[in-house]
Amino acid sequence: MLRNVFTKWLWDARRSVLVWTLAIVVVGGGYAAFWPTINTPGIQEALESYPQGLREALNYDDLSTASGYLTASVYGLIVALLLVVYAVSAGTRIIAGDEEASTLDLILAHPVSRIQLALQRFASFVLSVVIIVSVFWLGMLALIVPAQLDDISTGQFAAMHVHLVLFTSFFGAVTYATGAATGRKSFAIGIGSGVGVLGYFAQGIIPQLEGLEWVENLSPFHWLIGGDPLRNGLQVGDCLLMLGLVGAVVMWGSWAFSRRDIAV
Amino acid sequence: MSDVAISTEGLVKDYGPTRGLAGLDLEVRTGEVYGFLGPNGAGKTTAIRLLLDLIRPTRGKAVVLGLDPRTDGVVLRRRIGYLPGDFAVDGRQTGAELLTYLGNLRGGVAAARIDELAQRLDLDLGLRIRTLSRGNRQKVGVIQAFMHEPDLLILDEPTSGLDPFLQHEFSDLAHEVSADGRTVFMSSHVMSEVQRTAHRVGMIRDGRLVTVERVEELRERSMRKVEIQFGGPVRAQSFVGLPGVTDLRVNGSVLRCRLDGRADALVKEAARHTVVTLSVEEADLEELFFHYYDQSDEAGGAA
Repeated sequence: MLRNVFTKWLWDARRSVLVWTLAIVVVGGGYAAFWPTINTPGIQEALESYPQGLREALNYDDLSTASGYLTASVYGLIVALLLVVYAVSAGTRIIAGDEEASTLDLILAHPVSRIQLALQRFASFVLSVVIIVSVFWLGMLALIVPAQLDDISTGQFAAMHVHLVLFTSFFGAVTYATGAATGRKSFAIGIGSGVGVLGYFAQGIIPQLEGLEWVENLSPFHWLIGGDPLRNGLQVGDCLLMLGLVGAVVMWGSWAFSRRDIAV
Repeated sequence: MSDVAISTEGLVKDYGPTRGLAGLDLEVRTGEVYGFLGPNGAGKTTAIRLLLDLIRPTRGKAVVLGLDPRTDGVVLRRRIGYLPGDFAVDGRQTGAELLTYLGNLRGGVAAARIDELAQRLDLDLGLRIRTLSRGNRQKVGVIQAFMHEPDLLILDEPTSGLDPFLQHEFSDLAHEVSADGRTVFMSSHVMSEVQRTAHRVGMIRDGRLVTVERVEELRERSMRKVEIQFGGPVRAQSFVGLPGVTDLRVNGSVLRCRLDGRADALVKEAARHTVVTLSVEEADLEELFFHYYDQSDEAGGAA
């Protein structure tokens, strides 16, 4: 694990990856396990009495199916937000955190180019996301029978989790690139979480305003659940868009990083 | 291998309104131990980080081991060992883990070599770095710089935090590198440390090289503080203008002055009186610096 920058970063993140995996499995699984309770006549009627606007804001437009419930509560909200927080904290660590701790000088004085270092660490971050989201996927599969989620197939879950990996990588990329370009943790955290908050509003709240429906197309949350992968399978367009943005943002950040001075 | 390990020409680094380097011309020869001496804030660390391509010059150029740090950075850094002025690493790992990782980034360093250095510096590599004292942490830094036997060692304040025994051990390490035909470039703000280790000393002030001296010559030329207690009051006039004597102050029967170069004239003049005590103290670095600075300022003013 001490062989190169890629494995070292993952090795150093091992505790954090373990804790985040547990948190997401427990929280996501806990919500999913609640489905049989939600799926009872009394609760369904109560939910239908919510005002239309509130239901849209919370993505509660379809709570009568397991996929609609999971999209609204787990994939579009709680797990998505947890993963944004993970992406922002890990993305900050890639360059800016290391630089502000004054530990970056030593590594960059070794025979590693800056671009190499940055790309290896970002790749390592993506692998950490794949690990977290995959374990969570296995957890959800294990819940299909006990939580009565049988209207969703293994493949539909897989499609949803591919979206989740790309979504999390996008926030990691934005945060990493800001930190790599500026060397400042505060900028990285600010921009990363700022894009998260704006993206969230751009999907649930802003499109309800007259004439602003199109804004949801700009939201990463829309790319995550707008095409309803839990029901419709993999949304190739959304995935390619997220993949392309991750590539472009990472390239920009790495390029800016290779050109600037490293802070002491 | 070329005779010159490091050369810079008119290296300038601007930091907004302040200037890190104001045109540094440096020449470090292959196989020597070069002491880069200057007070804090003079630009030592800036120069070192430019050589490693951690920062980029505003103007001027640097050639290190015949390579351009900017374009051949990876190839160049393979042949360099670097100790940062502030040796900071993730403290959760052990010394052994860190050194294995850093060795692997350089294509692998034999564990036996790491153990040998650790034994020599009396360091336990099994401990987590955050539990180590400042001195022991610095030893980890010294080991990682020396372990792969690089052609050039660039060391920023290498002996800070090391006790006298280890400073001595460090000097030996540096001399072995030099005896091997490899080069050591070390910065310091402590004259005595550089005197013990380096062959030549370059003094930097305000981002410019003020003077380069061989250490032996520096020692001969270095200023001394003289205090003479006479048997009775003496007149200052008879001492004024003696060669090498400056800053003369006579207070009753006590004479204090600075002496640069030969002591002959001062001793002969003093011998005309009854001398009770005579003390000669080597001027400390700061005074030495001020002396050179005054000279270079005068030279600048005259030009």
